[in-house]
Amino acid sequence: MADENGSAFDAVEQGPEASGRNTEAPHGGASDPAEHPSVTALQGRFDSAALRHEVQAGDQHVVFLDPGSNRTVLAWLRDDPEQRYDLLVDVTAVDYGGGRPLQIVYQLWSVPHKRALRIKCELPLDGLSIDSVVQLWNAANWLEREVYDLFGVEFRDHPDLRRILMPQNYAEGHPLRKDFPLRGRFSRAEQTRRALSQDYHDDYTPEELEVGGAPGLAPPELPISTDEVGDAP
Amino acid sequence: MGMSDGEGTDPLSLAEIEALGQAEGRQGGLLGFGHPTFLTTKVDFVVNWARRNSLWPMPFGTACCAIEMMASAASNFDLARFGMERMSFSPRQADVLICAGRVPYKLAPVLRRIWDQMMQPKWCVSMGACASSGGVFDTYSMVQGIDTIVPVDVYVPGCPPRPEGLIYGLMMIQEKIRQESLTEHYGLREENPSLVGRPRAGDEEVEALAGPFGNSTQQDHLSSAAQTTRPERSEDLLP
Amino acid sequence: MTEKILELPESRTLSEPMLINIGPQHPATHGVLRLICELDGETVLKVTPDIGFLHSSFEKLGEYRTWNQIVPLTDRMDYLAPLMYNCVYVMAVEKLMGLEVTERCKVARVLCMEMERIFSHLLWLGTTAIDVGAFTPFLYAFQERERIYTLHENYTGARITTSATRVGGMMADFPDGWTDSLRDFVKTFPKTLNEIDSLLTTNGIHLGRTLDIGVISGEDAINYGFTGPNLRASGVDYDLRKDNPYYDYETYDFDVPIGGKGDCYDRYLVRMEEMRQSLRILEQALDRLPGGPINVADPRVSLPSKTDCMNDMESMIHHFKLITEGISVPAGDCYFAVEGSKGELGMYVVSDGGEKPVRWRIRPPSFVNLSVIAKLAEGHLVSDLIMINASLDIVLGEIDR
Repeated sequence: MADENGSAFDAVEQGPEASGRNTEAPHGGASDPAEHPSVTALQGRFDSAALRHEVQAGDQHVVFLDPGSNRTVLAWLRDDPEQRYDLLVDVTAVDYGGGRPLQIVYQLWSVPHKRALRIKCELPLDGLSIDSVVQLWNAANWLEREVYDLFGVEFRDHPDLRRILMPQNYAEGHPLRKDFPLRGRFSRAEQTRRALSQDYHDDYTPEELEVGGAPGLAPPELPISTDEVGDAP
Repeated sequence: MGMSDGEGTDPLSLAEIEALGQAEGRQGGLLGFGHPTFLTTKVDFVVNWARRNSLWPMPFGTACCAIEMMASAASNFDLARFGMERMSFSPRQADVLICAGRVPYKLAPVLRRIWDQMMQPKWCVSMGACASSGGVFDTYSMVQGIDTIVPVDVYVPGCPPRPEGLIYGLMMIQEKIRQESLTEHYGLREENPSLVGRPRAGDEEVEALAGPFGNSTQQDHLSSAAQTTRPERSEDLLP
Repeated sequence: MTEKILELPESRTLSEPMLINIGPQHPATHGVLRLICELDGETVLKVTPDIGFLHSSFEKLGEYRTWNQIVPLTDRMDYLAPLMYNCVYVMAVEKLMGLEVTERCKVARVLCMEMERIFSHLLWLGTTAIDVGAFTPFLYAFQERERIYTLHENYTGARITTSATRVGGMMADFPDGWTDSLRDFVKTFPKTLNEIDSLLTTNGIHLGRTLDIGVISGEDAINYGFTGPNLRASGVDYDLRKDNPYYDYETYDFDVPIGGKGDCYDRYLVRMEEMRQSLRILEQALDRLPGGPINVADPRVSLPSKTDCMNDMESMIHHFKLITEGISVPAGDCYFAVEGSKGELGMYVVSDGGEKPVRWRIRPPSFVNLSVIAKLAEGHLVSDLIMINASLDIVLGEIDR
């Protein structure tokens, strides 16, 4: 009966906790840094860089960092014996839309200490550039490339920052941004034509094209003149 | 076959064949021109029987449908009993292109190239909803049906279609082959060399084939709570 | 046992290297993957994977779907273990909502996830064996997979794209006799697994193709982001079911196989043993499957019963709102990971209080696993490259999303 669901009408009235009518990106509730040892240590050591701390989904600790110091703080998180976040689980980005800053999200896990931590850096939409952490974790190589491809964030000092999921000649922009329409910017006919006109040279890095003097990629220039017939080989 | 004395070695065009047929009268004798006769239907019968019972599929499997295609080839459903056990991964030796799975725009030139590399006679099966029309993925990266890129003979709907569905589709190809005739352009597909590597159809047809329909027409609403900047250019707005 | 054929000198090589493309259409790349290889004869100097040939923009699509409408999308990513993806997605949303599912649902999801682990490993086994040249294990593995397909079909109606979970529970309870069929499978599967074992594990050809191929140390593996059987084969004891348990995994009695050397053979052994351990978990879960409702009676997510809807105005409106608008998830973000068949499978969902997510991020284990192939294959032969690629157990649907 209606009893086991409570009064169903009340539940409908309750609705979600926060409506999106405010302009700030949503953040979690009251946070107790003391519950997570890394957060306390981080806040103690990097007082200026650790901007904010919150707890999401009950027990997931998130620390907001100043984007300029992400590499320093993440290096400490990886190397300090009390923290030892040696596994970089994920690097991603969140675009809230409406002109709000883009959040770069690092998900970390410490294999020896069995702890998780989430680090976020907020970037303004006109300054989407942050230091790459590939030197710290090689796992970040492809993960950052994907964020570059889909969001347009430039990772400084990344060894190979190219598109990874979209074709190299993709000209419609960065798909996961909120101002990018679901079906893309061009018409389907245009997308088909562009897809079929992908130049294979785009698929290779410049170093690869140099391999072996790049013999097979371009047909050799043949003499066209009929007057100058050389000696038979 | 069907060449009259000393007419040169170029194959006759369909119009020329028709003209010859009409000049000779509708009976045409044993070697008819432009319409099947006793001898040509017997040759057709044998050739088509051989072709349809020894099709070598080219499995262009990308996603979930590819797994169902593998299941069709495995012991429970067994494509081998149709003569299709030899999955030819080289397009040069394949007869039927089974495009199983979704094809994004990045993969489109690869599909087109594989199709172009296949030798005549060749057929194409579009397996699954994604290959036939884009499926659930009416997005920026997905080809909305491979018939915008390659000519398709049979569409097998499903997401993914059961192996029985794929087998039914392949049997339809076999039926199609059974009804072919060598007198019609030698039983080969009309192909225009200038279309190699290009879309299969012009812009209007591609737009018509790839237009949004059904649920896709409502897929422009983000979370009602999210404030986003609406696309400014008029061409980015949905119709 | 092969050793590296050529030690790479500083001055590169004696002859000119060549650039060869493997894929994206190739029988052995396990999906549409392109490997750009710089070869010196048969030796791989450098290999660069090129992905994106199956990019289906799942994450973008998710932003236009209500929370429950995303479940059918999750099957199509890792099509080798669809129920696993169904489960982890709704587990992430439930964690964000602070929603606790029923006991029956927990055990049911454990059953589904372990069944999917076997399902996925069987396909890995079949295709890896084919890459080595052994055709028979492929047929045996697919015959066993057919039995799991039948289980999927009896439960959800679909063989592969199951879409079995919903936020707050499952789409339906198990039909009568389903658990008996699963128990049957658990009893008879070891026989086939032993047959395949006898064909491959001590087979000289298989050993020659896999021993000492693609070795990676534990430390390097962690730094490169390896998770799952690949990481455990390198000697690192990291299994989310033990280290960050969910759904009472700490109460199940099972072992986690750890490899010694980190080569292809270890990865093979780890996965074979994992299948046996999954059978143990399945037996225990089947024994402890409690009765009771499978869906939680939480007004935020669960539909009122039809009887109530027909008799009660509030229930009718509640039902109407839940169907037309979808559920609402409170603002916040949540990262939830499970031990998937390929590694740490995580979902990061961001909500702003609405009925569609702001961001739905999938942390695909194969994506990070594949990026290591460049390091693993350097100095090996092309045929070893194929074996290494097979031993990583990648699925392109998850990599490209």
